Parts: sequence; structure tokens; C-alpha cells
Amino acid sequence: MDFKFTEEQELIRKNVREFCVKNVEPIAAEIDENSRHPAELFKKLSDGGWMGIPIPQEYGGAGADFLTSIIVVEELSRSCSSTGFTVSTHASIMCMMILLFGTEEQKKIYLIPMAEGKRLGAFCLTEPGAGTDVMAVTTTAVLDGNDYVISGTKTFTSNGPIAGTFIVFAWTDKSAGRKGMSTFIVPRETPGLRVGEHFKKMGLRSSQTSEIIFKDCRVPKNNLLGKEGAGLPMAMAGFDGGRVGIAAQCIGILQAALDESIRYSKERIQFGSPIARNQAIAWMIADMATELSAARFLTYHAAWLKDQKLPFSKEAAMAKLYASEAAMRHTVKAVQIHGGYGYCKGAKVERLMRDAKITEIYEGTSEAQRMVISGNVLR
Amino acid sequence: MAGVWIISENRERVLELLNIGRQLAAKMGTRVSALLYQDSKEVQDCINHGADEVMLLPPLSRDQSPEIYIPVIIEEAKKGDPDLILLPATARGKDMAARIAAQLDVGLCSNCIALNFDDGSKSLVMERLAYGGVAVQTVICATRPAMATIPPRTYDTAMPETGRQGHVRELPAPAPSAVKTLERKVKERAAKDISEARTVVCVGRGIDKKDDLALARQLADILDGEIACTRPIAEEFHWLPEEVCIGLSGVQVKPDLYLGLGVSGQVQHLTGIRNAKVIAAVNKDENAPIFKAADFGIVGDLYDIVPKLVNELKK
Amino acid sequence: MRCRFVPTVIACFKWVVDEAYIRLRPSGDLDFSSVDYKIGEYDRNAIEAAVRSKEALGGKAIAVTVSMPEATKGVKDALSRGTDEAYFVADSSFGNLESSQTAFILAEVVRTRIQQYDLIICGEGSSDLYAQQVGPRLAEKLGIPCISFVQKFSITKGQLVAERRVEEGVEVITAPLPALVTVLPDINVPRIPGVKDTLMAGRKPTVKITKDELPPMGQPLLRTVSITASRMERSCEMFGTDAQEIARFVGSLRKRGVVG
Repeated sequence: MDFKFTEEQELIRKNVREFCVKNVEPIAAEIDENSRHPAELFKKLSDGGWMGIPIPQEYGGAGADFLTSIIVVEELSRSCSSTGFTVSTHASIMCMMILLFGTEEQKKIYLIPMAEGKRLGAFCLTEPGAGTDVMAVTTTAVLDGNDYVISGTKTFTSNGPIAGTFIVFAWTDKSAGRKGMSTFIVPRETPGLRVGEHFKKMGLRSSQTSEIIFKDCRVPKNNLLGKEGAGLPMAMAGFDGGRVGIAAQCIGILQAALDESIRYSKERIQFGSPIARNQAIAWMIADMATELSAARFLTYHAAWLKDQKLPFSKEAAMAKLYASEAAMRHTVKAVQIHGGYGYCKGAKVERLMRDAKITEIYEGTSEAQRMVISGNVLR
Repeated sequence: MAGVWIISENRERVLELLNIGRQLAAKMGTRVSALLYQDSKEVQDCINHGADEVMLLPPLSRDQSPEIYIPVIIEEAKKGDPDLILLPATARGKDMAARIAAQLDVGLCSNCIALNFDDGSKSLVMERLAYGGVAVQTVICATRPAMATIPPRTYDTAMPETGRQGHVRELPAPAPSAVKTLERKVKERAAKDISEARTVVCVGRGIDKKDDLALARQLADILDGEIACTRPIAEEFHWLPEEVCIGLSGVQVKPDLYLGLGVSGQVQHLTGIRNAKVIAAVNKDENAPIFKAADFGIVGDLYDIVPKLVNELKK
Repeated sequence: MRCRFVPTVIACFKWVVDEAYIRLRPSGDLDFSSVDYKIGEYDRNAIEAAVRSKEALGGKAIAVTVSMPEATKGVKDALSRGTDEAYFVADSSFGNLESSQTAFILAEVVRTRIQQYDLIICGEGSSDLYAQQVGPRLAEKLGIPCISFVQKFSITKGQLVAERRVEEGVEVITAPLPALVTVLPDINVPRIPGVKDTLMAGRKPTVKITKDELPPMGQPLLRTVSITASRMERSCEMFGTDAQEIARFVGSLRKRGVVG
């Protein structure tokens, strides 16, 4: 087993870190406070080629392996988990879906600008009545002449208010059950697509989340992604990669929590010595470091399997489950270590704890992950 | 023939190097020669401060810079066989020293902060900073001559003795060079020269905003001192000009009193103040590294402490 | 007929210990056991200057380094920053070269391997030992003009014009090419290489040269006796924040004669 990163991966990690220190760290607290999408930062991410890392160079990406893209997400998330999340899902889900299932024409028109970071993608599957229960989706796409007409409401759409290209799941044949949903590429400008309610969230506040409402939204047949009826299997395929991306986001959060906890515990003096000397605190930090390491290796291994083109659904679910629960556990501990200061705005750990919670929920709840894992293991 | 040679176009630097030069020459049992650029008025002054010999380099034309003397100096060195050649660690000094060392194929200790002649081994032991100021590198130069560049103000100027005798001679003119100086833009000082200040009040990241510099200025005025800053204040925030930035890549100061306000004490900054007579610091972080490097420290909020200090000093 | 000026610019860089990773043992000794390496800060500026010249004028930017064989990552780093090719002189004994030795080897590579070039760019010093000698020594060995501490420069056919910063101010110097400059850190802001640049770096040509392929270098002219932690420990006397303590503080300063 070779547990080493390649020289390229080590250099890339260093470069992302430098980018983060220069461009992300200085604004992370403000964009969280103001729930602001930092367009200026995403322009720099786009110019630097950070938006389509695992996409082949011929389609505007960097042509890196998936593990490399995970390293980038981890480092970005260490500075700002909203940014890490946006970059991750944009590349590993939205871009990846078009790469895997699109026609050459669709790749040229839609994938290239997305991989170059010129347009952000958004994933429209979840609805007010359909979360973990994807079959409860009600949005329909009816074939009418040369177009499909999409109607329905999607919710919790990340990047909803700012995305340029939407990937939308709708029933084309409800009677076909799991083989009745199809996927469509819908550009923002399409009449009949409207951004609905913006959500104010506990954490991940810089990421823009909203409803997307489709009312008689016409898209040409050419915008069908993949085959009719193949929507659900495509979504499932996309989720695996997405989950590893979330796991990477979590290890970034964990690393940040650990960095802050170590620093604070060495500086904070009570009863005449730094609190790091107290076993209670030292043990909290020991647990944090250990679980971070465990989460890391689950994540890197899942990414490695994907790069080897080996099945990785179970490992992706395990990585996401473990890393997200560890991130939640230990950001709470990190606030505890910081005491009163950790509870106040201005402390990084305050934001980390709020950011961590959603990782147990989106991209498949921890419960859904357990279903995947047990389904796999109990076969 | 031997000797300790000193080369600089700046009078202050020459006098500092004459100080250490004479000490070393005495230990090595040799004499001191100074190479001066063209100013024959300075010759007696130089001899009074300890030069046994002055070698005069002829005046330069407007489009020539002192680097043009390098071949002349090398010729003289080959003939004169000095034990040691010293230059100031200024931009020009460092550059010329390296080029002379390359041509003579000898060793050169750059930015040398301490020079000692070891009687036992009859060799020069020199110290310099490395790794961003974190380490001290001790070197021995085995070549003849040995060479060193010494940062300005590492040594005080030599004490003069009036009426000292010395020998003067003129060196030949340099050959023409294809390298020409087109223009010289004298630096407009944006601020006072803090390297000469007896008291320095230095601000760091503990200062919240630019307007609060007034607080530091008030304290500096009462102490009859100059304002300085750490690198981020100049480079990131641009609240003060680069010229008053103290640190490894900034100014080195040697004041009687250095008072740091909200300065954490990063290694790079500390290398700029290591020779201050008294170091005092105010910082609200009790673990700030500056407290280990200071003589006196107050753990407190500078916004609270500075007005109190000003009041106390007015008494 | 006017020949277009298509320059070859060489950037020299050193793969150095990243001083941020140097720890202090409780004994006070320096601990280099968990150090990572990097291209020295000032050398990044040199590489950036060479690449920008290439981007503006065309031609070639070549990265050159003398290091231990493990520095392959450094060579990739240099190539990821936009240089076209690299010359890598590697030997396990090259970990602690003295400036004169580095200059000697670089001169050999430039003279016998690269041969045709217009400008050599070095950082003003290496970020580990900061001797600031390799650039000027290399220029002397090659017999070319050296302009150091350059904040801005331009090259045209056969000619270099450089702004050099000295204590008194700025000098504008002109010299014939080929020439060597050492650059100040404010000459440019080095780019952060993108993922694609890093991945493509390994595909660019690297000429590897072993020690035996070159004439033997001399002994170090400066012998390092020790590298120890620089201590700046003064016995810090601490004072409180109330009026009485402030008075005591000022009193202590007065006693030391540094306050009137």
C-alpha cells in the first residue's frame, strides 16, 4: 500500500493553501455574516482554473484525478466550507454529470463554460415533499413537439439564485417507476424558470440556497441529458462522487477545528498554565486528531477507488457518514475548548460548528448513508 | 604585505569598519588600509580614525558607478595580499564584495554580525543569521584574504585621534565599462530615518486602525523618539511607509529604547531590534514571543496602557 | 532586415528548507526533523520575472537548479510556474553547497550546456542562508555584467536597462546582454500555479546532469562550524496595568537611562 501523495498532489495542496490564505481567509467571516456569495472570489477561482479540476482539459477542466480534486476541496473547506462545498458540488456533481452522460454537443455548449468556472451549476432534485424519498418527486416533463415542458417546484437548491446551468430531474413516465425519471439541462435564461424563496440558514451561509420554480418551462429535446427514464440511476451515480466531496469538506472543517483548538489551548492561561496542559483538553484534542485521521483515510481511499474505476458506493457512503458525524462532534468540542469566546461571533470555531451540521443532512442524510452501507454489507 | 582593508564610499560606514578593522588588525599584528572613492578631503579624517594607509580611487564620471573600480581593487588585492577585506553590508557593498570574492576566489561571510580573530587557530571566526533569523551560522574563512560584509551600525564609529600619521597613495583609473549609469533618483524620504533614532516606538497588529497611530505618536513625541512598525503595518495595511518597517528585510535599529505596542515579536521582526539597549513591550497576549526577548513587559491593552504611560511620563 | 528579438532567459532557483517548519527542542537546539522544502521566496520572483519576459517577448524561459536528487518536486514546481524547460544538476552531496561552489556549477551548466542565453535572473538571496552571493559570483565566473537588487528591468536586442535600488535611492543602469540581474521581492507577485500547470509540469523537458559530468568543484571557501538557534532572551521583568505599576515601569526605564 502506498500512502504517499504524488509530488503533483503535494504541490497542488500547497498552492491551494496559498490561494486560500491570500483570497479566502480574509473574507470567510464576512461572507458568512452577510450570507454573501463572493463573486470576486469565484472569478479568481475561475481564472486560476480551480472550478473544474476533475474534468478533462479538452472540456475546460484541469484534467486531474478525483483524489486531487478532493485535496483541493479539503483545503478550500479548511478556510471556508461554503466555498469548498460550492467548488466541490459544482465540479463533482454538476460538471461530472454532463461529462458522464452528455452528448458531445451538450459538453461543448454546457460543460466547457462550467468547467472553466464561467457559469455555476445547480442540481435540482429535492422538492418540498421529496428529500430522502426521491420517488416522491412531483415535477413533470411532458414531451410536446420538439420540446419538453417542465413544471414543478424544487427546493434547497444550492447556487439556485446565481447558477447559470440547472440540472433538473422530472418524471417523463411516472408509470415506469424507477425508470420513469429523466434529466434535463436547463439554462437560467429559459422562460418559465424562476428563483423562489431564498433560505436563511444556520450555517454554510455564503452558499446561496433557494427554491427553483418551473412553470411551463420549455426546453428543446436536445437538452435531455442521457436517455429518457435514466434519471434516477444517473443521480445515484452522481451521488457517490458528491459524497466523497462532502467528506472532503468535512475533513477541511475538522482540520480547521483542530488548528484552532491547538492554538487556543496553548495560548489560554487559566490557573497559571495553558489549558493544553489539562488532560481533559488534551484528550479532547487527541480524539479530534485521531478521528480527523480516520475520516481522512476513509475519504482518500474512496477517492482512490473512484480513480481506479473500482466500485466505491459503500466506501463513499462510509466516508461521508463518518466524516460528517466526526465534524459535528468535534466542532462542538472545539467550541467547548474555546469556552465563552468560542460561542461569540468572531471565533472561527463558532462558524465551524454551524457549518458542520448540514454535512450530516445534505447529499443524503446520515440515515440514508446507513441505508446504503447496510444494504451493501447485508447483501 | 598583508593588512585589513576597508572599502566603502560612505563616510559613516568607513568609520564603523575602521573600528572593527583596527581591533582585528591589532590582534592579527597588521595594519589597516582604507580604500576611498575620490574624496581627498576625507583622507586625514580617515587616518585620524585609524587607517594606516589610504588608497584613493580616482573620481568617477557621471555615468560611472563604484562597481567600475572592481578590477582595480582586484589588481591591488593581488599585489597587496591583504589578510581581510571588509565592506559594509549595504546593497552596493554586498554586490561588490561578492564580485571581488569571485575574482579572487576567496570566501566571503555576508551580513556578518560578529567577527573574532581566534589566536589559537589564527583564523577568523564569523557569525551571521540564517533561516529568516531563527538560526545563527558560525563560519570560518580559510582563504586569504578572508572577506566579510558587515551590516551598518553593527559597530560604533571608531574613536578619532587627531594628528595620526598615515600613508596615502593613488590607485590607477578604471578601464572603461559597457555598464553605464543613466540616472540617479535620490530617495525622497517619506519619513525620518529610524535607524539613527535613540528611541523607537514600534506599532504592530495590536493597533486596530490607522487613526490610532496618533496614540503611538503621542508617546513617541513625549519620549523624543521615532515611530516604526512591523512588516504587516507597512506592507499589508499601508498605514506607514516601508522605510520605517523594522525587521530582517527592513530596517535594523539600535536605539537606546525600543518600545513595542501591540507587537507580537515574530522572529523576523526581532532580528531588527536585537541590538537595542533596552527592549520594552506592551501586548495583551501574555504568550506573545516578544516578552521573551524584552527587558520589560506589560500584559495589557495598549489603548489602556499608552494613555497611562503618557500621563506618567509627563510628570 | 531586422531580426526579431527572441530572448532566452534563465532563472536560477534553490530548493530550500521551509523555515516555518524548523522547531526548537526543549534543549534549545534546532530541530530540522519535520522540515518541508520549498523554492526560496526570492527565487520565485526570479522565475516569475523570467516567465513574464517570455510571455511578453516570446523566446524561452529556462529554470536551473543545483540540488540533491530529491528536489524533483522543486523542478516540477519551477516548471509549473511557466518555464519551458529545466536543467537539474543533482547529487546527494549537494545538500550544503557554499555559494562559490553553487556559482561554479551554475557557470558550467550555462557555459557548456545552455550556451546561448540573453539574461540570467537570480533572487536577491536564498531564503535559507541568505548569503546573497551566488548571483554576483555567477556573473563574474561567466564574465558578464551584474546588476543586483533590481526592482524593474527591460531587455531589448542586445541591451538591458535596469532600475537598481541602493540605500541612497534608485540607479538606472544599462548594460549589454548577456547579463545577470538579481531581483528584489517587490519586482512582481509570483503566480499561484493552477492544477493544470502543475499536472503539465512533469511533461516539460528536464535535463538532468550528474556531478561526474561536470568538472570537479573546489572545496567550500567558507566552512560552517555550527548552526544554532539564535537566542534573544532577555530577562523580561513584568509589570501590571494599574497606575502604581505603570509608575514602576517608567521608573525602571528611567533607571536604565533610556528615558529623560
